[in-house]
Amino acid sequence: MSAQPAYEPIIGRYVTIEVQGRSYRVYVEEAGQGQPVICFHTAGADSRQWRHIMNDAELTANHRFIAPDMPWHGKSLPPEGFEEEEYLLTTEVYVETVLKLVEALALENPIYAGCSMGGRIALQLALNNPEPFKGFIAIEASDFQPAWYDIDWFHRPDAHGGEMGAALVSANIAPQGPKAERWNTQWMFMQSGPGVFRGDLNFYTKDDSLVGKLGGIDTSEKPLHIMVGTYDMTCTPEDAKRTADQIPGATLAVMDGIGHFPMSENPATFRPHFVEALAKMG
Amino acid sequence: MTSDLRVRFEDMGRKLAEKPHLKRLGALFSETVLIEIDGNEYYLAFHRGELERVTEGPSRQTPWRFAIRTDGEALGKFWAPVPEPSFHDIFGFVKTGRGRIEGDILVLVKNLRFFKEFMALGRQEEAAA
Repeated sequence: MSAQPAYEPIIGRYVTIEVQGRSYRVYVEEAGQGQPVICFHTAGADSRQWRHIMNDAELTANHRFIAPDMPWHGKSLPPEGFEEEEYLLTTEVYVETVLKLVEALALENPIYAGCSMGGRIALQLALNNPEPFKGFIAIEASDFQPAWYDIDWFHRPDAHGGEMGAALVSANIAPQGPKAERWNTQWMFMQSGPGVFRGDLNFYTKDDSLVGKLGGIDTSEKPLHIMVGTYDMTCTPEDAKRTADQIPGATLAVMDGIGHFPMSENPATFRPHFVEALAKMG
Repeated sequence: MTSDLRVRFEDMGRKLAEKPHLKRLGALFSETVLIEIDGNEYYLAFHRGELERVTEGPSRQTPWRFAIRTDGEALGKFWAPVPEPSFHDIFGFVKTGRGRIEGDILVLVKNLRFFKEFMALGRQEEAAA
């Protein structure tokens, strides 16, 4: 018997989608089989945040996890003409990107899981575009978070935005996580393209369009589960509870010893909470 | 108590000198930082990533680049081996209203990893990273 390659089960492929008339080549990682779960990363990072879930043999036995790098992030390219463009993500572009990916990847009845800005979009989709989805897992998610920092710090000609961004977001990482995973989490921010973290934060810290509208989310057929770490200083447990309290039928899990990047910074502590979240999706 | 803190900052300076990666990260950091605890001032003078001296205030003549002001209890919680939520990072002082960061914040942000890791040197070694 010949030796087998020691690959992890995660595979990566590319797909091209059109969003608001522009073409984007998007990198997508995938692992497992069964119920599709499309997983979105935080601002300033990429799909590697989901690496532990996607390498979890028990979870991938009956779930097919699909984790894209948003355009401009990770291995996804920015659009043609990016070199003269100021990247400023909007809710509309994000939502259309998700919907076009679901269509392009021919996903049937996927669960949506997103963290931070991806969690905010979970709420937007649950309110405005629930049709394609089975349910929503909104991690470190709230209706609105004004910035407690100056987002312009992270895109300057005289300093490395990625290193500053990583040092800032370390404030949102709990000390209990394994040291290696806490630093892996920061590495993605260090690698982020120039201006990308700032451009993500632009929509995350300025778009308050969900405020006062969360009561319109119907969870009777599309469950919505919100998860938050106790060490998250950006979306605090109070922020997540305020959000959950406005959505009839929404459920909330507060995770001890975890910050803003649960699946990446402390996979062992996050896992049982995520198993519970998947179970709530029916 | 006040001189105890000066000794502690000086001890952190000695630990800093034993961390080659912090000397590298702080190579462009030559600034004086004011740390004010319960109204007591400590001026920490860094030169190229090394803590050269700690001077106790009060002083109206010592220029500083940025300042961190908080209370002793909050600083004690920050230095706990496993700090509780909101006390695990210097920005927690600000977020919780237990302190303020003032002055040239951009200089702090440009040297943020260096300065955060310096401040964490007051903790036990294992939690410092």
